[in-house]
Amino acid sequence: MYDINRTIETLLDDYAEALRDGCIPTFLKSLTREEAKRIASSRQFQDATEIARILNSVGFADKAVTSNVSLFISRVDAKIASRLKKPKASSRRGRGARTKPVTKMEKIEKPI
Amino acid sequence: MNRRLRNALKGLTAPDIERRRRAMEPFVRATFEIFIRYLYRYLGNEVECEDVLEDVYADIWESPDRLCDVNNDKHLLRTVYLYYMRKHLREVYRRRNRHLHLSQKGLERLIAPELGILEMMSEEELGQALRRMLNKLKPRERRAIELWMEGMSNRAIANELKATVDAVKMLKFRTILKLKKLMHNYYPKE
Repeated sequence: MYDINRTIETLLDDYAEALRDGCIPTFLKSLTREEAKRIASSRQFQDATEIARILNSVGFADKAVTSNVSLFISRVDAKIASRLKKPKASSRRGRGARTKPVTKMEKIEKPI
Repeated sequence: MNRRLRNALKGLTAPDIERRRRAMEPFVRATFEIFIRYLYRYLGNEVECEDVLEDVYADIWESPDRLCDVNNDKHLLRTVYLYYMRKHLREVYRRRNRHLHLSQKGLERLIAPELGILEMMSEEELGQALRRMLNKLKPRERRAIELWMEGMSNRAIANELKATVDAVKMLKFRTILKLKKLMHNYYPKE
């Protein structure tokens, strides 16, 4: 459970801990309006998050490397196959041209 | 860049869709570890890393144009981050952000920031630099960071350092800022 109205030090600490434990969404949800403003305006916080990310990467990135790359490759292949099946969505302009609503003026301007 | 990766890249940038699809396997095998470690830096969660990476590879297959001029590993990582990963990193939390207080821009800065000089360093380089910089810290500061990197909670670190939890938080914050300064002095902007 997070405190409310945390200081910038506590916010950084909670961010670094959330990053380490893989629960960034929980940290983001925990932010109050004031805390969010504090984060957005603090240069120190931005600087510190860069180092927090580096510490996370150097210390814990080994967890992410799965031994079964083949399984992952099959997932990527399935994704590509699904994109191959899916026809490319027509461009906005194309669709717009077909379903362009007739305006009042156009109705009026039709030849008699 | 090793020959396997160079050949895979050549296949990936071919105009023929099927050839590109066949080239995906050696490309994924050659780059999976580098990319997933890099993503872990931002997400801290292996499941999310794999989900994002799956989309990144599919995007690369679909439009590999950006990779045509890649000539070394660093350039590859930089290109993939800027043109393929970053977009998906932003999307991970964008949908959830509807109910968050953090602005879209603030969220982007936190989740998928602009590339700094430290962010473009390889894991090995970063590890070496970090070890060197940790040696320049005061023993208490170094211990706090080392214990944190071992996975200890603030309370456990406070017990170890015979301090309060708030004092540990403050110590970590100051030490992280000090580390940032030290690393930037060591690797000045190009």
